[in-house]
Amino acid sequence: MTSIAVPRRSPLSEALKGARRAAEDHSSIWSWLATVDHKRIGVLYGISAFIFFLAGGVEALLLRTQLAQPNADVLNPDQFNRLFTMHGTTMVFLVVMPMSSAFFNLMVPLMIGARDVAFPRLNAFSYWTFLAGAIFLNASFFTGDIFAGELGAPDGGWFGYAPLNLERYTPGHGMDFWMLGIQMLGIASLAGGFNFIVTILNMRAPGMTLFRMPVFVWMTLVTSFLIIFAMPVIAVALFELTFDRLFGANFFNPEAGGNPLLWQHMFWLFGHPEVYILILPAFGVISEILPTFSRKPLFGYPFVVFSGIAIGFMSWGVWVHHMYTTGLGTIANSAFGVSTILIAIPTGIKIFNWMGTLWGGSIRMTAPLMFAVGTVAMFTIGGLSGVTHSMVPSDFQQQDSYYVVAHFHYVLFGGAIFGLFGGIYYWFPKFTNKLMNDGWGHVHFWLMLIGFNLTFFPMHMSGLLGMPRRIYTYDSEMGWNLWNLMSSVGAFIIAISVAIFMVNFVISLRRGKEAGTDPWDGRTLEWTIPSPPPEYNFKEIPRVHARDEFWHQKYREDETGRVVPALAGGAVEPETEHAEGAEHGGGHGHGIHLPSPSYMPLIASLGFPIVATGLIYDYALVPVGFALILVGLFGWAMEPATEEED
Amino acid sequence: MAYAASGHLETSTGLDNRKLLMWLFLASDCLFFGSFIAAYLLYRDRSLVGPYPEDLFDIPFTSVSAFILLMSSVSMVLALAAIQRGNVRNMQIWLFTTAALGTLFISGQAYEFTEFNQEGLGLSTNLFGTTFFVLTGFHGAHVTIGVLILVSLFVVSLRGGVQQKDSLTIELAGLYWHFVDIVWIVIFTLIYLIQP
Amino acid sequence: MPFSRFRPHPGRIAPALALIALLALFLSGCDTDTPQNTFDTKGEVAEKQAELFYISMWPALAIMFLVLGGLVVIMLRFRERDPSYVPPQTHGNTRLELAWTIAPAVLLLAVGVPMIITLWDLGREPSEDAMRVDVIAQRFSWEFQYPEYTDAEGQPLSVFDQNDFHIPAGREVAFHLHSVDVIHSFWLPKLGGKLDVVPGEENVLWLIADEPGSFSGQCAEYCGEFHAEMRLTVIAQPEDEFEAWVEEQME
Repeated sequence: MTSIAVPRRSPLSEALKGARRAAEDHSSIWSWLATVDHKRIGVLYGISAFIFFLAGGVEALLLRTQLAQPNADVLNPDQFNRLFTMHGTTMVFLVVMPMSSAFFNLMVPLMIGARDVAFPRLNAFSYWTFLAGAIFLNASFFTGDIFAGELGAPDGGWFGYAPLNLERYTPGHGMDFWMLGIQMLGIASLAGGFNFIVTILNMRAPGMTLFRMPVFVWMTLVTSFLIIFAMPVIAVALFELTFDRLFGANFFNPEAGGNPLLWQHMFWLFGHPEVYILILPAFGVISEILPTFSRKPLFGYPFVVFSGIAIGFMSWGVWVHHMYTTGLGTIANSAFGVSTILIAIPTGIKIFNWMGTLWGGSIRMTAPLMFAVGTVAMFTIGGLSGVTHSMVPSDFQQQDSYYVVAHFHYVLFGGAIFGLFGGIYYWFPKFTNKLMNDGWGHVHFWLMLIGFNLTFFPMHMSGLLGMPRRIYTYDSEMGWNLWNLMSSVGAFIIAISVAIFMVNFVISLRRGKEAGTDPWDGRTLEWTIPSPPPEYNFKEIPRVHARDEFWHQKYREDETGRVVPALAGGAVEPETEHAEGAEHGGGHGHGIHLPSPSYMPLIASLGFPIVATGLIYDYALVPVGFALILVGLFGWAMEPATEEED
Repeated sequence: MAYAASGHLETSTGLDNRKLLMWLFLASDCLFFGSFIAAYLLYRDRSLVGPYPEDLFDIPFTSVSAFILLMSSVSMVLALAAIQRGNVRNMQIWLFTTAALGTLFISGQAYEFTEFNQEGLGLSTNLFGTTFFVLTGFHGAHVTIGVLILVSLFVVSLRGGVQQKDSLTIELAGLYWHFVDIVWIVIFTLIYLIQP
Repeated sequence: MPFSRFRPHPGRIAPALALIALLALFLSGCDTDTPQNTFDTKGEVAEKQAELFYISMWPALAIMFLVLGGLVVIMLRFRERDPSYVPPQTHGNTRLELAWTIAPAVLLLAVGVPMIITLWDLGREPSEDAMRVDVIAQRFSWEFQYPEYTDAEGQPLSVFDQNDFHIPAGREVAFHLHSVDVIHSFWLPKLGGKLDVVPGEENVLWLIADEPGSFSGQCAEYCGEFHAEMRLTVIAQPEDEFEAWVEEQME
């Protein structure tokens, strides 16, 4: 696996051999640490994202308990401020993004007929760096005297505006953990973005042109491009903040002539594409679910794809709409007001395409379908409140109030989270060969829908009644009491629905009904391979002739135009041909070559939190961390990617 | 994964995976440098106290170091041409030259930083110090990483690890190196040469 | 089309009615006389902003009902009845898709017109005879300075009691916003939308209180631990009473 020269039969060489053997033993935990298999990495991302969803949810419940009544003292202001900072940061960076990555990892290679992603070790590196950043960020909670109720977590809000984010206004280490933690998460996302673009562009099965790709793959592609161009901007902003906080630089220091709005411009130049990064994957997921359970194709595939691409481009031209009230002037506000109105168009027409998919279908109301329809409905509401935000003058009332909080929760929770839950129910059978209990899935859906709307719809009201966001309490005469109480009750209903989901998930894993290869009568390639997929995914790389290739193998149109099964009765054989340049190792006849497991990505990733800890506590750790990164990278570069052929 | 007769992986676009990756990385890195350059330009002429650029810049000196970096791109091209022709020896010579010129550039940067520092410009002094040192510092870090990559390739080639069939690796290193050079041209032009 | 098979199920009507009732409850919030209600407009700026909001709100609500209602109808009408039935595999309808791209675009741009008009109307410089107030924001309180009223040494009148900031009613007031520390946001909802107070910049917000009254506001940009307590009350008085108050303060 590595070509480091080690004395023969020394304890070190025995240990290394043992580690290598363990990496290849699929039942050992070491194999998980060294895995480069996209399916395992997807599972790791999914489980991690869900754990952080619970963490962010607990943070939310604490906030809502404090806000349930006026002048409550469940939390003191400092605790409240740190919890809302972590809630937002967690949900954006540690939940929606990695859960989307879980789906990219699990599904993209299967949907394009590939055996893995383009760079399996880079893929593993993405995950471990993400995990390192996530744990590092959350470690901040424990840097204060937690048993005295002092949370060391960051307290600058999830977008950490300057100059509040400077040391003199947010002293202590919380913001240091924030800026360095997000930096690590950014590196992880970047690596993933590069990987998936190359995978999608380069590793499609023969015959799969771009316009025959499933929409989920298209959305992954657009999202990945957004990632690789947006993350550098936030990386720079965070580096600038790091230099300001740790080394006395002046990027955001008004006393030296620095402009605090520079931070906002950079943050939102990243931040607006980021919100599309958050929603497009879920759009992709429901674009797969709706056709399957309507038993007809996505209505207007080209429009849906082009509108996704349009959103990708246009998302760069609207960032100032987060800054209308900062005093940039009427001209700037007009220009971005118009561009914001315009971006509603490609976003909105998708709603109609999804409705058009359901129309005229034969709709099976399974749990994944309910979540997909829920996504469409909730995103519509969130999108509409977004349109009201684009009316610049009235946004001067809405900005920084609970109306905004309502808007973004409708699109991010109602949109992204609902969609991703749909994806879990939909693809669970493929990876476990079990079906999740559909009845309890419906209970989860309805409870979550009711709880969600009860939590967030009243926030439109409290916002328009003048309740600002990020306040730890409010007075009784403000007229906000009822709305806040409703929101808090709703939050607990959501929690119950999540608990139901968790129980369903675990029980279904053990005792769910067997799913088989194609439980949903699906349309895309992942349903042609066994459940769970073998390590190599496809025994033979399929040849693709059409969009929804698998559907066309199963069904054809008869003389009257009716849709009938393609083969009279009996099982459908996934149609494959030997692709040019056969699978069998370039003619050597050794079978399918898979990338070898490797510990190097994990080793390299471990360097980052060490550097970060060193920057905060003890500079001596910094070179240690960098050395570890270098060791990992060199080992990675030197080792062969696959088993050497003889 | 499908292997073509040549033994290389067949890809849907025809581009090697690693080459596509390098181009994407460089495109992304443009946004990275662009953001730092934008910060510098936005803060130009807004320092409340000196020293100011016109007090410190030594254009002739920086021109020489820019020229050195430019020449290192030439030697990089020669290294790639050599290995594509199968000439490992020449590739080693030119790789070494490129790394040496890069190191010379870094030394020039270090000298310039020390000079400026002695004239009273630090990271915290004013906006100029902040934006200048961070921007050129990150560029210098990129060059340093490039030198590390070139030296590593050189060492590996000493053991026979770089042959004609591995020319893509040298090409990728070259792409990175040229990118870092072009960024310096942009920085040199916008920050040193064009004074308002 | 098997339209005759679509019969509204009683079990579905009740939830629909409940939702409508709930929505009515929500909308009733628009009229309550609560201290920071943006619909209870007491000044020209707030009025115009609320009017603009209605222009976007009603179409938004209509579209919301159409889409949500449409989804319910579709789910009922096209639910699976025969598991072996595979519907016609319609791929799309270009004309329809163009229509539903162009129609929203037209509607959005139409709404954009009053938006731009209002934006420029409200975004003008304060008028010549506006009274100037310098608002100084700091963590976690406000200060009003009145440069038009100076004492013997030329110091402007300065008020720190944030429950007792006075302005003349019926007259334009230009608030010049200054921060001594972080970004805050100056918000008096009944008089108008907010404007951020940015250190190193001077943002100017003009507002008019149509009638005398007491107007509640608070900081609307998270500024640290006690952001929630950074509130203020502005009292608009008839011109003569305001002058009297100024004189009183100057002693």
